[in-house]
Amino acid sequence: MSRPGSPAAGAAIPHLPGRLRLRVFLRLLVLQASWNHQRMQNLGLLVSLMPWLSDRPRDAERDRLFCRRYYEFFNTNPYLAGYVVGGLLRLEQEREGQGGLPRGQAQVFRDSLARALASLGDQLFWLGLRPATLLLAAVLALLAGSAAPWPLAVLAVVVVGFQFAWRWRSLGRGYVAGYDIVELLGDRRWHRAITLGKRATLFLGAALAGLLLREAATGSVRTGAPAAVAVAALAACMAVPVAARRRWAGEFIVLTAAAAAVVLAFALGTEGS
Amino acid sequence: MIAEAMSSALAGTDWVVFGSLAALAGCLALDETAAAQTWLSQPLPAALLAGAVAGDPALGLAVGLPLQLALTMNLPVGQTITGDVSGAAVAVVGAAAVGGSRPGWPIAPHDASLTGWLVLGAALLSLAGHPLVQAERRLHLVWMLQGHRTLRDGRLGRVDAIHGRCLAAGFLRGTLFAGAALLLVTTVWLPLHAMLPPVAGAAMAWLPWLAGALGLGAVAERYGALRHWRWVIGGLACGWLAGVVA
Repeated sequence: MSRPGSPAAGAAIPHLPGRLRLRVFLRLLVLQASWNHQRMQNLGLLVSLMPWLSDRPRDAERDRLFCRRYYEFFNTNPYLAGYVVGGLLRLEQEREGQGGLPRGQAQVFRDSLARALASLGDQLFWLGLRPATLLLAAVLALLAGSAAPWPLAVLAVVVVGFQFAWRWRSLGRGYVAGYDIVELLGDRRWHRAITLGKRATLFLGAALAGLLLREAATGSVRTGAPAAVAVAALAACMAVPVAARRRWAGEFIVLTAAAAAVVLAFALGTEGS
Repeated sequence: MIAEAMSSALAGTDWVVFGSLAALAGCLALDETAAAQTWLSQPLPAALLAGAVAGDPALGLAVGLPLQLALTMNLPVGQTITGDVSGAAVAVVGAAAVGGSRPGWPIAPHDASLTGWLVLGAALLSLAGHPLVQAERRLHLVWMLQGHRTLRDGRLGRVDAIHGRCLAAGFLRGTLFAGAALLLVTTVWLPLHAMLPPVAGAAMAWLPWLAGALGLGAVAERYGALRHWRWVIGGLACGWLAGVVA
């Protein structure tokens, strides 16, 4: 059985030429450089597709129509944008010499795929892998103490290497699949990975909470307050967002913590601190 | 008098390190949205990198860790960007390291109160960076609309140039913001710490712990800790035991 998004058995597998793939890949890394409130990643998308166009003999009218096709609103998850760009390059390649890809066809493919990938990517990367990785880094930092920079450097190399490999592969798979890329979205592994990422985040967050509470219980909170008070204060702070069901930006969490810290310092008195 | 105080605070400053820190902040500002998005611009890696550049990675860890716990749930989705946290983290860590301060939190137990003061400074600076990020994006819009001329004449070079200009603007914004923040922290924020009343000093020692705990509470809220209580209990037990073993 072929994997979703792969060509059928026996069919010739189209490939994105290596040099072109590298140029598109590098430009994809700066997809969001010109992010704007009106059309978001539109300029980034056009710039990513341009190496394909610049490999062809100059034709002002064709170039103009090409730019017109991709200057409209575009927004997707940057880690999964390779699928859209690879797919668009394949469609452009197939329609070369036939007046180019019709504008409506490009729009439907681009918008439907971008929307679906934006949702998947936000769940998988922004709400799954990113917090899980950062909380893992925090656990390593707490456990390794002054030696922490080394394991953190190794983790950073692994994470960055994984991201780049993923993006490189998604570009190639998008090109190979063309229209069939839509099948890839139905792959159950996406949802398994999202669930795993979220559970890992919750588990690592709880592990960090356990570490902090233990530090507080052993008197590491160097405020002069009794360990029981420190444990109770930390546990209360951990419970507040859950009980309040409110989502504050991190900066406001720090400001809230500062207000709570002042109240606590007043309540306990400065002598003990 | 203010000028005298500022010049004494800046006396002996290593300007090469200051410049390197500002350039690092420029690169991290790009990493936040514009280029690669490798997560190195998150508070913990950014603070650690700033500490390494300034010659004190442990200091970067001490400030970056509570900041990371508090800001883990800041999502870089669409228009929800709240501030310039990487520039703020680089500024507070860089200024403290260059000034020879040794704050600490579980990792390097020196002056816990100063750690809290730096974390608070980073949060305020990050919020101050928000209007700059928004202004940069409005500038992108203006430049993007200029690219409409390419839809008429088909000149691809113009689009490339606009995109490159946006990248340069992002780098410049990050560098200038961090440079100004470095000066502000060195000349105002760090000297202010010595003038804090005892109660405020004690409160600052609490701050990293409480901010970290609130941040972890936000993680639990986001992922439905009550529904997935088995994962929470398991994580808490593992964390506690890991602390015992370590």
